[in-house]
Amino acid sequence: MRRRTAALALGTAAAMVLTGCSTMSPGESGTVTLNMVESLTNPARTDLLKGLIADFEKQNPKIEVNLVSPPTEQADQKIQQMLQSGSGVDVLEVRDITVGPWSNNGWLYDMKKDLADWKGWEALTDNAVEASEDTEGRTYFVPYGFYGLSLFHRTDLIEEAGFDKPPATWEELLEQASKIHKPSERRYGYAFRGGANAHSNATAAIEAYVADDIDPAHGYLLKDGSTIFSAPEALDAMETYLKLFEEASPESSVAWGYPEMVEGFSNGSTAFLLQDPEVIATVSESKSIKPDQWSTAPLVAGPSGKTVQPLATAGWGVAEGSKHKAEAVKLVEFLSEGEASTAFTKKNSLVPILKSAAEDEFYRTGPWASYVTMTENPDKYLVVTQPRGVAWWAEWQQRADTDVQKMILGKLTPKELLEGWDAYWTEKWKK
Amino acid sequence: MSTTSTRDVRKAPPARKGGAPPTRTGRRREFTTRRGLVIAAFMAPAAVFVAVFTYYPMIAGSQMAFRNWNLTDLTDTSWVGLKNFREVFTDPAWGTVLDNTLLWVVGSIVPQLVIGFAIALWLRRRFPFRGLYQALIFFPWAISGFLIGILFRWLFNSEFGVVNDLLQKAGIIDEPIAWLADPQTAMIAVLIANVWYGVTFFAIMILAALQSIPDELYEAAALDGASRTRTLFQITIPYIRTTLALTVLLRVIWIFNFPDLIFGMTGGGPNNETHIVTTWMIKITQQGDYGKASALGLLVVAILLVFAVFFLMATRERTAAARGSGKRGART
Repeated sequence: MRRRTAALALGTAAAMVLTGCSTMSPGESGTVTLNMVESLTNPARTDLLKGLIADFEKQNPKIEVNLVSPPTEQADQKIQQMLQSGSGVDVLEVRDITVGPWSNNGWLYDMKKDLADWKGWEALTDNAVEASEDTEGRTYFVPYGFYGLSLFHRTDLIEEAGFDKPPATWEELLEQASKIHKPSERRYGYAFRGGANAHSNATAAIEAYVADDIDPAHGYLLKDGSTIFSAPEALDAMETYLKLFEEASPESSVAWGYPEMVEGFSNGSTAFLLQDPEVIATVSESKSIKPDQWSTAPLVAGPSGKTVQPLATAGWGVAEGSKHKAEAVKLVEFLSEGEASTAFTKKNSLVPILKSAAEDEFYRTGPWASYVTMTENPDKYLVVTQPRGVAWWAEWQQRADTDVQKMILGKLTPKELLEGWDAYWTEKWKK
Repeated sequence: MSTTSTRDVRKAPPARKGGAPPTRTGRRREFTTRRGLVIAAFMAPAAVFVAVFTYYPMIAGSQMAFRNWNLTDLTDTSWVGLKNFREVFTDPAWGTVLDNTLLWVVGSIVPQLVIGFAIALWLRRRFPFRGLYQALIFFPWAISGFLIGILFRWLFNSEFGVVNDLLQKAGIIDEPIAWLADPQTAMIAVLIANVWYGVTFFAIMILAALQSIPDELYEAAALDGASRTRTLFQITIPYIRTTLALTVLLRVIWIFNFPDLIFGMTGGGPNNETHIVTTWMIKITQQGDYGKASALGLLVVAILLVFAVFFLMATRERTAAARGSGKRGART
């Protein structure tokens, strides 16, 4: 009796340990199971992905895809842990901000050779082709779409304030937003980004002011090799930007991040908002403002009339630790071409990667039109690649966000801020 | 659940940690290898689980504190001695973070204790729908801290938040207060949110303890003509002292380790001035610097250990004094 109890206990212990250690065994009858992990997860997008995966599985009966969808906030850290353990991930969502560190650690597979004969390349826009290669020509991910800023604006408020068209430059934005701004009536000019990611809009302003001299391949550098923060125009940009906060933005926008900015615009209290295209969907659902009260305009320009759009992107890549690389690459190809890609960019409100989108009625009308305008005039609306892949990007973001907050709280002058940023990047790049 | 745990705590004699009662030596059975194996086999699942899921990650995590462990570049994870600790101590934010942590713990726990106690005293009396009131009051404890953070972030929003709206409508303020945009008001706002959240736990624990006080004591006090205040300070509080002490200890540790709310509300901002140690640790983790974050984690453990030892020593002395000298002790 006692022996049996002991055996039972040992058995239980063994079973518990074994279940903890067991890994997914290869499927029967030659079926390959791919584990795919997404990062910028949201429920609607996960459903969409599942639909696309089902189509893929129909076309490839021998491949099964298991989609893993961690909550967005921790997704990249989860993926990191999975990659670090060396197994369990085949296809994954790689972002411009994660590709640097992950490839640096040898976790990502260079798909260059596998994709050499892929016919999908021809259908991609120049931006997409460019974004799929790193500076040394390696392909760690194929972008699924782009994020890009446009100026969401209230057409009715602009007209009421006596202007006949939305602002095209930062100066005009300051002028119009200040005129509309009346805090006592709960009417605000500009949805200022002071909280998380505050630096992104601040650098967008600086880049617009140095548009003539900027190095398109290194969005933080001028063509002469110095940083954009050292240019005299950068100071003009930051001073205008600070005025935009002081004269045209709600006081509490020191702490405004994405949700507050979008809420401020879509609840009808704020006239201008610089945001990514996915906000189009949110604002369209607003009950406070009607479709004829708002639109988008191209990103505002600097004194030279040119704008600079930092290219923000993410895409699908393959893990170095994957045992089914050929099948994984096949899935990446599938998601990056034809209907799968079109469906993904449309339903996610992303700037598309396919050339054919320019002819698509969906993108030619309404709030999307400004994105087509920007894509079709690359000389006026420049696109630059920011150094988002560098190992210190996360550190930089937090430092720069804090500095922007310090500036608008009056604890740092625009000049000191720029000197600090110039010194930071000069030193980092020297190493 | 709360009731049982309080009672357990009260019943369990502190000295007896081992499990085998000392009086059994007389009829102790012979210890054989087989018996040892059986014991080991029964203990194995639990031991393996704890080892794999608690101690291994803890040790693995601790060693990161002494290595160059940055997720952005794991090709070089060499040993760096105390460099990560030096980085923590020399960081300009460290002073603010420590001050904030102290404010966060004290500023949360004192109002939580006082209000929680008052609610528990009130709920102890019988009145119609008492069960419903109890359920409503304990409800916040069931919500995730992060979610509460997000809710309060909107409540305290200067332009669209209900707090300013109510204050303005009540005529208390003329201009909206930019709660989360100013470091000082932001700290007040997170403290208000945390007090609201944590009062519940004190109320649950104290109510459970109060219910264990025999009514005879109160009856006797009433016969002796003791006033309400005197009853409170000479019967109620001395009787539930152990529960109070343990609850305060637990809460200090929990609040210290409770970044969710601040993270949801302010993310440590504006200008990094509402960070406490644990939110700062998350921020460093997000930057990928696991070495420094791990060093900070060890510091948190060290601080809390020192606190727990002192606190337990202090409260044990008091409890012993209370037990030893009856009425006189009860007053200390």
